[in-house]
Amino acid sequence: MSNEFQLTPAEIVNKAKAIRKKIIKMNSHAGQGHTGADLSETDILACLFFRILNIQKSNLNDPGRDRLILSKGHGIGGFYCTLAEAGYIDESLLMTYLQFDSALPGHPVRQKTPCVELNTGALGHGLSVGVGLALSAKMSKRAFRTFVLTGDGELQEGSVWEAAMSAAHFKLDNLVVIVDRNTLQLADRTEIIMALEPLQDKWKAFGFDVQVTDGNNVAKFIETIEGLDMCSGRPHVVIARTIKGKGVSFIEDRAAWHHKIPIGDQVTKAIEELE
Amino acid sequence: MTEQSAIDLREVMVQCFIRAVQDNVNLVVLVGDSTSTSKIAPFQEKYPDRLINVGIAEQNLVGVAVGLSLGGYVAVTANAACFLVARANEQVKNDVCYSNTNVKLVGLNAGVSYGPLASTHHAIDDVSIMRGLGNIIILAPSDPVEAERIFEFALNYVGPVYIRMDSAKFPVLHSTDYKFELGKVDVLISGDDVSIFAMGSVVHEAYAAAQTLKADSINAEVVNVSSIRPVDRKGIIDSIKKTKNVITVEEHSLHGGLGSLICEIIAEESLVARVVRLGITQGHFAKAGPREQIRAFYKIDKNGVLENARKLLNR
Repeated sequence: MSNEFQLTPAEIVNKAKAIRKKIIKMNSHAGQGHTGADLSETDILACLFFRILNIQKSNLNDPGRDRLILSKGHGIGGFYCTLAEAGYIDESLLMTYLQFDSALPGHPVRQKTPCVELNTGALGHGLSVGVGLALSAKMSKRAFRTFVLTGDGELQEGSVWEAAMSAAHFKLDNLVVIVDRNTLQLADRTEIIMALEPLQDKWKAFGFDVQVTDGNNVAKFIETIEGLDMCSGRPHVVIARTIKGKGVSFIEDRAAWHHKIPIGDQVTKAIEELE
Repeated sequence: MTEQSAIDLREVMVQCFIRAVQDNVNLVVLVGDSTSTSKIAPFQEKYPDRLINVGIAEQNLVGVAVGLSLGGYVAVTANAACFLVARANEQVKNDVCYSNTNVKLVGLNAGVSYGPLASTHHAIDDVSIMRGLGNIIILAPSDPVEAERIFEFALNYVGPVYIRMDSAKFPVLHSTDYKFELGKVDVLISGDDVSIFAMGSVVHEAYAAAQTLKADSINAEVVNVSSIRPVDRKGIIDSIKKTKNVITVEEHSLHGGLGSLICEIIAEESLVARVVRLGITQGHFAKAGPREQIRAFYKIDKNGVLENARKLLNR
């Protein structure tokens, strides 16, 4: 199985722009949303869906598909907008985001939305499930890869490290953790609230192959992922340095925008900046 | 039945696992350093590749089981109930129940099985916790025959299941042709005077009490509620309408367990009945000590049931 788009980095940059505009419009229409997180992860999701993930619209439940777990479930707005851009959900659905009993609730629900593998939202759950998926691929000799996208604040959850220990123990080189390292959590900087650094050393000590890249630079991110040695006997972590709120000057790198949404003139201004 | 013929329910469970693999169930069993707790050795010897030990990490135990189920396996976790329901509660809630994955959670040594090891090791709240979660099937086998039928059912059912298991050896209460039916009560003894509803291994205490009561010409109906969700409302209502006297027996807190469940039905159906609920007293952690003494203290042993039945019926 392959990715059905296989876009070039330049084409993905344009997709990311289109996704960001959708995020601004959707969140402002919904009146709620995690705008900072949605914009932080946009380039990563665009790379995954338009080039990296081996999934096909014709059968999104194919047992041989690559798996992506959105462990940072609050980033679901960016995820929905990416699915709409890829044609995996109908674009008109975005205007129902967060409404009563909508197909697009405020955290991922696998029974409602294609490409959602796990109902996340409580942090620190995705990696254990990713370990189980990667283990199932090894046990049943299937070639699919498992990607787990985590926030950085999320790494404060102890369950992440239970899972990390087991990923290395089971030699899951078919598992890729992507850390959206925007250095901000709900209340403030991660390093002020509960320091994560030295983050590379932590993952190394747990037995991971550690890569650091620019998570808002499509070409560099793709190069990092495509350069992973998937037969190394070690699980992978890609620490993707990002800017929370990336793409809109007045949203970028501000903790207050964790779950704020653009209103009035801010919408027009944000869309202009994204042109 | 003699004590010699008593069988550890966990040994029954492990034989069910072995037979399931032989019957082409795509089974994987996960333990959290609980290889001895689960008596899993015979399975491990036969199918070492189908046993995953995640170490002492209950959240990861449940999360990894969920991942394996999403990868096409029937994933079964087997560890002590006290650690499963408390430590991994959010994984059970979100990853098993809310995500509706094909995971079977076996809570071993539930109730006060671990008697003297005290309250960290008791699981007297597992049923109330599981009842609070939306969709998980909740089952509690009473004897070796029923344990076998329940595991056969669970391993072939698609979706989340919790099985409340005991640690000790128990004699057989059921004939070998016993059929476990999901959502049905199992009336072990029919009677008109008092309905004794029991769950799990205390069914044996209720059964023994009913036999003694018979000698006093009290006809007790012993109802084994092994299917707690879904529950057999009709079977329970029919029994209560007949006897109008109810005793519930559980090695579990009186908050949210079997006694609560029966009283919810009585209230919702406007049934007229006198009720005595026996279990771990409201607001208590269970006493620590030998299990028989704990059961005697909370009146959930044979004598406690007898005493309460006589009092209830003024006999």
